Amino acid sequence: MIDPILSSVFARAFKSITDEMSISLQRTTRSPILCEAKDFVTGLYDAEGRMLEQTENLPILSFSLAPVCRYIRRYFGDDLHEGDVIFHNDVFSLGNQLNDVAVYRPIFFQGHLVGWSAAKGHQADIGGAVQGGYNPDATECWQEGIRIPPVKVVDGGRPRRDVWDLIFANIRLDIVREDMKAEMGSCVVGERRLLALLRKYGLARFTEVKQHLFESTRRMMEAEIRTIPEGTWPGEAKVYYDGRHKGSTFTIRVKITVRDGRIRFDYTDTDPQTKGFVNGTYTSSASATILTFLQMVNPDIPHNEGMVEPIEIVIPEGTILNAAYPAATTFGNHLCPPNADAIIRALAPVIPDRVTAGWNQLLCALTTGVDSRRREKYVDIGFMGLKGGSGAMKGTDGYDHIGMIDASGGVLDQDYEMFEQQTPHRLVKHEYLADSAGPGQWRGGLGVETRYVIGSDDTTVVAFGDGDVEPAFGLAGGGSGSLNGIELRLPDGTERRLASKDLVRGVPAGTLYVQRAGGGGGYGDPRSRPRAKVREEVRDGVISPEAARDLYGLGED
Amino acid sequence: MKVGIDVGGTFTDFLATTGDGSTQVAKVLTTPADPAIGLLEGLRVLAAERGQSLADFAGTVRTIVHGTTVTTNVVLTGAGAKTGLLTTEGVRDALEMRRGVREEQYNNRFTNIPPLVPRYLRRPVRGRLDHAGVEVAPLVPEDVEAALDLFAAERVEAVAICFMNSFANPDHERRAAEIVRRRLPGAYLSVSTEVLPSIRFYPRISTAVLNAYVGPVLRRYLDSLIRRLREIGFGGVLLVMQSNGGVVSPESARDKAAVTLLSGPAAGPNAGLVFVGSHGLDHCITVDMGGTSFDAALVRDGQPLLVTEGQVNRNALALPMLDIVTIGAGGGSIGRIDEGGLLRVGPQSAGADPGPACYGRGGRAPTVTDADLVLGRLDPDFFAGGRIPLDLDAARRAIEERVAKPLGLPVVAAAAGMVRVVDANMAAGVREITIRRGFDPREFPMVVAGGAGPNHACAIAAELGLPLFLVPRESSIFCAAGMLMTDLKHDFVRSMVGRLAEIPRETLLGAIEELAERGRRVLSSENVPADRITILAEAELRYVRQYHEVCLPLHPLEDLPKRFHAEHSRLYGYSLEEEGTPLEIINLRVRATGGMDKPAFPSEERVGPDPSAARKGARPVFVPEAKDYAEVAVFDGHGLRHGNRIAGPAIIEQRNTTLFVSASYETVVDSAGSFVVFDRARPDALPRTLKEVLR
Repeated sequence: MIDPILSSVFARAFKSITDEMSISLQRTTRSPILCEAKDFVTGLYDAEGRMLEQTENLPILSFSLAPVCRYIRRYFGDDLHEGDVIFHNDVFSLGNQLNDVAVYRPIFFQGHLVGWSAAKGHQADIGGAVQGGYNPDATECWQEGIRIPPVKVVDGGRPRRDVWDLIFANIRLDIVREDMKAEMGSCVVGERRLLALLRKYGLARFTEVKQHLFESTRRMMEAEIRTIPEGTWPGEAKVYYDGRHKGSTFTIRVKITVRDGRIRFDYTDTDPQTKGFVNGTYTSSASATILTFLQMVNPDIPHNEGMVEPIEIVIPEGTILNAAYPAATTFGNHLCPPNADAIIRALAPVIPDRVTAGWNQLLCALTTGVDSRRREKYVDIGFMGLKGGSGAMKGTDGYDHIGMIDASGGVLDQDYEMFEQQTPHRLVKHEYLADSAGPGQWRGGLGVETRYVIGSDDTTVVAFGDGDVEPAFGLAGGGSGSLNGIELRLPDGTERRLASKDLVRGVPAGTLYVQRAGGGGGYGDPRSRPRAKVREEVRDGVISPEAARDLYGLGED
Repeated sequence: MKVGIDVGGTFTDFLATTGDGSTQVAKVLTTPADPAIGLLEGLRVLAAERGQSLADFAGTVRTIVHGTTVTTNVVLTGAGAKTGLLTTEGVRDALEMRRGVREEQYNNRFTNIPPLVPRYLRRPVRGRLDHAGVEVAPLVPEDVEAALDLFAAERVEAVAICFMNSFANPDHERRAAEIVRRRLPGAYLSVSTEVLPSIRFYPRISTAVLNAYVGPVLRRYLDSLIRRLREIGFGGVLLVMQSNGGVVSPESARDKAAVTLLSGPAAGPNAGLVFVGSHGLDHCITVDMGGTSFDAALVRDGQPLLVTEGQVNRNALALPMLDIVTIGAGGGSIGRIDEGGLLRVGPQSAGADPGPACYGRGGRAPTVTDADLVLGRLDPDFFAGGRIPLDLDAARRAIEERVAKPLGLPVVAAAAGMVRVVDANMAAGVREITIRRGFDPREFPMVVAGGAGPNHACAIAAELGLPLFLVPRESSIFCAAGMLMTDLKHDFVRSMVGRLAEIPRETLLGAIEELAERGRRVLSSENVPADRITILAEAELRYVRQYHEVCLPLHPLEDLPKRFHAEHSRLYGYSLEEEGTPLEIINLRVRATGGMDKPAFPSEERVGPDPSAARKGARPVFVPEAKDYAEVAVFDGHGLRHGNRIAGPAIIEQRNTTLFVSASYETVVDSAGSFVVFDRARPDALPRTLKEVLR
C-alpha cells in the first residue's frame, strides 16, 4: 500500500531538489544569460534515465535531458562510477544546440547507480566562427562550435585536466569555464539532497514511491488526453527565410492522432532540411512539441516520466525539424514557435476552449564585442527586447511581454542596471508597445519596444528569429498581433533594417538599436470586449483612441 | 512592565509581563479607520483589570513592542494608497512587467497581478545617470512638475521615486524628492535609494513602490498612536516589529514602512519555539489564523527560515524577511459563489468593520465566523468572553442568501462547505511552507495560534495527516507573546567593494567599528545596558565576476577566505579554492542585538487526567466525522489543569478562542498549560515529555 502523503512528499522533495539546483546555478554563474535570464534547466533522473523532476526555466531545453541520460548509460555501459562528471552538447547525440552544454552526474547509493542529477545551460560561447555561437552563414556543425559527445571531465572523482584543457582551448571566453563549474556544483547539490532522501527512506521505499508516481502521473496524462476527441487532426505553419536565400519558405506539417488515451505527433510530411543553420535537432523539436501540448492540459500534472509516456513523436531524419549529420542546427530551438503554431492550428477546431491564439514569435538579437570600459569581451542575448505577447484564449487575455512560447515566461529580462554594468550599452527605452496586441474580446498580450545606444565600436549584432513576415494569428474573430522588427540607426544617419537571420559586423558606438517585439493574437470579436476595459486601456496608453474606435467600436454604443 | 501588542486585521492582542513572570492578556476589536483607538482601548482594559487608572498604568510601562498586519493586509486586499510613480523616461513599465515572468509557465489561464500603480500614474522624467552614476543628461524638473500636476489632480496620496542607476548616485532622486516635498507636502514620499540603496532596478522600484503604497496607512497609524500614547502618559520606548524578526523605532518604521510588511507574523516563529521548547524540541510549524489572514512558518534547528529576495503578493520586496506564507483566510473571510458556480472563501475579508454578519454591525456577507457559529463551534453568548454577542439568525440569513440558495443546499451543508473550503486553503498554505520546501509536515509539531486557529486546527491536521499539534494557552495572543521573546535588532549595512586581499585590515575593522558604534548608540537610547549588547559583524563575499554574494561572520578575519570556500561548497556544491580565484567583498553588515528580559513561563503542578471540574455543559455541534450535529461536551479552558485529558469531540472555550477537538483526536494539557492535541490512532507521535503524562 502506497502512502499518499509520502508520495506527495517525495514529489515535492524532488521538486525542491531541482529548484535548489536551479538557485545554486543562478547564484554562482557569471554570464548574464544564466545568472540574470535563467536560460538553463536542472533535473533529477532515476538510474534508467527516467525523469523524476525538473526545474524548467527554459522548457525547450528540458525534454532532452532524460534521453541523453539514457544515451550516456548505453555509451559508457559498465564504465560509470561514483564521482564521474560527464559533459555533453553534441546535437547528433540528442543535444539541443552546441551552446547548450549539459553536465550529468551519476548518483550512487550503497554501491548501486540510483539516479542522475543534471544541469544544462546556454553558455556564452562555444567556439566556432562567431563569438557567442550564432552563425547564420554556417552550413555544417563545425562552423558553429565544438562538439562534445559524452566525455568524462572527472573520472571517479579524479579531474581529467587533459580533457578539460582540450575543451576550453576551443572556447573563447574564460567565464564559460567558471560557469561549467557552476553547473557541476549544481549537480553536486542535487546528489547530496537525493542521497539524504535515500538515507532517510531507503532504496526500497524510493523505488516503490517513484514507480507509483510515474504510474499515477501517466494515468493523469491519459485521462487528460481522453478529454480530446479521438481522430487525426492536421496542422501546419511556415518558417520564413533560411538565412541564405531571400524569400525562402519552409512548411512544418503535423498530423496529431488521438486514440485510447495516447497522442501521436507525426511530422512525416514536413519539408526537408535547409542548407543553412535553420534546422532542428530531434530533441529540440520534440521538446517544442511537448511543451506546447502541456499548455493544453492540466498544468498541475507533475513533471516526471509518466507525463511524457503517453506522448509519441515521429520526426523523420532529414526534415527541417530533425536535420541529418553534419547539418548546421544552431537555429533549431527557435523552430519551436512555428512548430507550436502548427500544433495549435491542428487542435483549435477540436478543443477551441483550451488553445490560445498565436503567440508572438521569437526575434532576438545578440550583441557581442569588447566592452571598451574594461577591455573585456562580452556576449549579451537581448532577452528584454525579444519578449512579445502571448495569444489570448477564451476567457483570458494574452500575457503581456511574456516572450516566446518555448520559455513561456520562464526566461527573464536582464535587469536594466545589470545590463548597463555587463554591456557597454545604455538603455533608452523598454516599454509596452501601444496597439501591438491582437484585438479581441480577449486581447493578445502586449509586445514591447526596446531602444538602446550601442556603447563600443566594432560591435557585432546577430539577429535570429521570425515573426517579421507573418504576425501572431487571432482565433474566433480575434485579430492578429503586430510584427517583429529590428533596425540600427547609425551615427551617420543611415538606417539598416535587419533580416530575421542576419549578422552585422563593425557597428560603431553611438548607434541606436531599435527593436519591436509584436503582440499575441486576440480571441473573439473585439466589439464584445467590455467597454470599461477598453476605456481603461486607452487611458493607460496601450490602445490608441483610433484603434479603440476602429477595432473595438468604442463610442459607437 | 512590558507589553506586546499585535494589531491584526480583525483583533488587537495584548500580552503584558512584569519582572516577576506574571502575565496579563487582553483582546479587543481592531479599529481599521484608526487602529490606535483599539490599541488604547486594550491598554484601558489592562489597566482596569489591575484596578489602575490608565495614566498610572501607562506610567509603569517601560517598553511596548508592537507588530501590525496593517501593511500586509493593505497589499493583500489591494487597499493601499493611491500612488504615483516618477521614474526615468523609457522604463515606466518595469514595475508592471516584473521582468516578464509568468510564474506558472504551462498555465495559460494564469494572469499578471494588477500593478500597484496604474500606467497613467507612472510618469516619465527626463534625466539620466550612467552605470557608474555619472550624469549623462540633466534632470528635467519640468517633467517632475508636470507629473505632480497630474498627481495633485488625481489626489495621489503617495509618491515613489526610482531612477535608473540611482544606487550609484542619489542626486537626481534627491532633487526630484525636493520638488515633491515642496509641491505635495502631504504626500507620503518613498525614494528608492533611501529604502533600498542597492543595484538592480526591478527589485528596487518594486520595493520603493510597495513602501509608498503602504506608507500613508502606516504613517497615519503610527502618528496617531504616538500622539495618543503621549497623551495618556506613556514615557517608555515604543518598538515596532520588522519583517526580519527584529524591532525598530517608530521613526524609522514610518519612513520605511516596507520593513513592516510582515511585522505581525514575524514574531510567530519565536513564540512557537518557546512552546515546543518546553518539550525539548527545536522545530515546529507555526500557523496563525486571525480574522483576515492565515500565516504559516517553519522553524528548523531552532532557527526560523529567512529569505532575502522575498515577495508580497508576487511583488518583489528585496528586504530581509522571515519566510512566511500568508493566505487570505481568516474568521472574517467571505464566502461567495464565483462565475463558474464554485464556492470560494476569501481572500476578501469583512475585517472588524462591518465584520461578520453575526456581529450585527451591518455586515451582510457570510464569513467563516458565521459558518462556525451555525455549526455550533462558537457560543453566541461567549464570543470574546461574552463581550461581542453573536447573532445566530443573522449568520444563518447571510449564508442562506449568498451561499446556500445559489448552490441549492441546506444552510448547514453550506456552512460546512465554507469551512471545508477555508480549511483546505489553509492546509495548502502549510504544504507550501513544508512540502514545497522539501520537508515532511508530519515530522513537525504544529503550533496553532490566532483567535480562529484552534477552531480549525483539527481539520488542517487531518488534511495533512499531522499526528500532533499544540495550542498555547494564550494562543490568541501568540504573536504578541512572540514579540516579548524578541531581542532588539538593528541592522546596518555599508558597501565596501574591492578585492578582499587588497583591503587593509584596519580599513575593514574601522568600518565595522563605525557601524557597531551606531548600533550601540541606538541600543543605549533604548535603555539597553552595555553588557547586554552583542555585535555581529558580517561580510558579503563572492568570487570575482559572480553576481550574487554569500554572507559570513567577519571574524575570525584570518580564516575568512577558508570559511568562504567551505560555505560556497556547502551551498553550491563546489569551490574555486584550488584555482586561486580572488574573493571580492561587496557589503559589510553589522547586526547590533540588545538582549531583552524574556517572560518566564511557570510550570504547573500536575493533577490527574479528570477534566470534569472544568466541564461547563454540552451543546449540539456539527462533527465532520459524523457529517451531522452531535451533543458535544463544552469545557472552560481556563479551568483545565496540567495532566487533564479530553477525548474528542469536545469544545474547549477560553475567553478569546475556542478549541474544537474533532472526534478522532484527543487533547492533554501540558506543564505550560498548552493543549496538546493528538490523533488517537497515533499516540506514538507524542513527545517523550507527554508519554509520561499519559502513562
